[in-house]
Amino acid sequence: MRKKINFYLIEYAINAILRQKYKNIFIATTLTFLIFLLTSIFFITNSIKYELNSTVDALPEIVVQKIKAGRHYDIETHATEEILAITGVVDAVARVWGYYYFENAGVNFSLVGVDEFEAQYKESLQRVVETSELMNTQDSSMVVGRGVKDTMQKNYYKDYFNFIKPDGTLKRVDLVGVFDGDTQLESNDIIVMSKADVREIFDMRESMATDIVVKVSNPDEVATIASKIKLVFPDSRIITKNDLKISYQNIFDYKSGIFLALFVVSLFTFFIIIYDKASGLSSEEKREIGILKAIGWRVDDVLKEKFYEGFIISFFSYMIGVILAVGFVYIFQAPLLQNIFTGYSQLKTSFELPFIFDVQTLFLVFFLSVPIYIAATIIPSWKISTLDADEVIR
Amino acid sequence: MIELKNVTKSYEINKNNIVVALNDVSMKIGEGELVVLRGASGSGKSSVLSLIAALSKPTTGEVIVDTKQISKLPDNFASEYRRDNIGFVFQKYNLITTLSVKENILLPLVPLNPDPDDADEKLTRVMEMFKISHKKDAIIKNLSGGEQQRVAIARANVNEPKIIIADEPTANLDEKLSLHFIEMLKELKKLNKTIVIATHDPLFFGLDIVDREIEMHNGAII
Repeated sequence: MRKKINFYLIEYAINAILRQKYKNIFIATTLTFLIFLLTSIFFITNSIKYELNSTVDALPEIVVQKIKAGRHYDIETHATEEILAITGVVDAVARVWGYYYFENAGVNFSLVGVDEFEAQYKESLQRVVETSELMNTQDSSMVVGRGVKDTMQKNYYKDYFNFIKPDGTLKRVDLVGVFDGDTQLESNDIIVMSKADVREIFDMRESMATDIVVKVSNPDEVATIASKIKLVFPDSRIITKNDLKISYQNIFDYKSGIFLALFVVSLFTFFIIIYDKASGLSSEEKREIGILKAIGWRVDDVLKEKFYEGFIISFFSYMIGVILAVGFVYIFQAPLLQNIFTGYSQLKTSFELPFIFDVQTLFLVFFLSVPIYIAATIIPSWKISTLDADEVIR
Repeated sequence: MIELKNVTKSYEINKNNIVVALNDVSMKIGEGELVVLRGASGSGKSSVLSLIAALSKPTTGEVIVDTKQISKLPDNFASEYRRDNIGFVFQKYNLITTLSVKENILLPLVPLNPDPDDADEKLTRVMEMFKISHKKDAIIKNLSGGEQQRVAIARANVNEPKIIIADEPTANLDEKLSLHFIEMLKELKKLNKTIVIATHDPLFFGLDIVDREIEMHNGAII
């Protein structure tokens, strides 16, 4: 038969907490803040990890760039034909793209050129070409990422934008749509328009492209094909998906270090509280345990009551901390903390942290806080309650 | 009912300082008897009460209550023994001063998780018996000494124990309140409770309700 919940004991525990109101409010507030900080760190990390992984997955297997004296230059589009002749290469697409600095907002947009009759190297771009009005209009037009649209609107550009060309003249491009990419990191700052328009804005000749992306039939052969391309074009830089992955990962790891430092500081503070709590009881608390023993409470009754006390404070702090972290990260987009992580993209438009529900994170924070706090509450009480009641009262 | 056989109790203050509180004490107290332990401070009265209530264990000797040897009970069994058999009224009452009268009286029942109706019935009975019902929700620290003592006695009786133990119950009371306490003892005596009181208050000496007085000095019965 199930034992009834002892509400008298729970009521006593609540009373015991309220009797030391100010001390317990201080502990609960500190604990809540630490749990909030820890959970926020984990939430932000998970969201950015998800964004980065998705971005890396969407990257081309090989990118070929032309290099002169170590600097990146435009590449001839006919190079695609020579690359396609290499065994194992499935497709080679010349990309026309570049960064456009929007001075009013202090951000960089990525201008990407597409061609109606060409297979796009990315599914998201293919969707844009197939579904948007981009290719159906006579005038120059563009489809932009959500972040670009917001930035433009804030600067009073609603239906069109005047790009400044290298010779100082303006190029008006009409805004005909907004698209959402697979991830916000990749799509937020992107402007898609025809290759001809991108070439005009960057003053690029028609026979030139920014780089060439290469698809291979067997991903295990990427390294071999990359070296073959290098042989054909000794003046090129071959970047594989793996190289990009490492470079993304390096940025991420560097940022993780800052978060790790925050994490360590949080844990350190938490353990100071725990140490203080576990190091002993006040004479009043000892006397109370003595009284309870003297009137017939067993050691386990005392410990149960202390368990409820610890559980109420730590679980309450845990719940509030997690709710605050969800609100802070996913509703308010982690002001201050997100800047630490995404600071490198200061020149890019901001992006929203995607909601990633990670049960493991919640369990990890739970086990790092609630049981440890409960143990710190119970252990000193256990030490006292196992003594003779007479000795404790005296 | 209660028997102490050759009991010695010593406390180790430190390695070179051992205080002998009781030295080879033997006594018997019958069921329903009211016994007063007399003697000056340090004579060993409180140590006897503590042993009968299983709040401490004798260094040597035996304490037997109702044929059960309680001096060797493990800690949890000793707690259960106290809960079921002993009502202890401490000299300084040992109430939790930030709780209400009701909450203090109900404390011995809390681990038993009683039915709320039963708990209410027991609470009402002892509060009426010791005339503290009007202060049911008052916080202990706001009560007078006499009222606090009523709460302490009510708490000691809420579990309907067979044995009532009181350690210097009138030490903090004036004469009027002490006489009130004696009236309450009379009520308990009528209920055939076994009562052991440690006191040096002359008010208790020669009282008609007292069955026996035991004089103690330097840890021994004289």
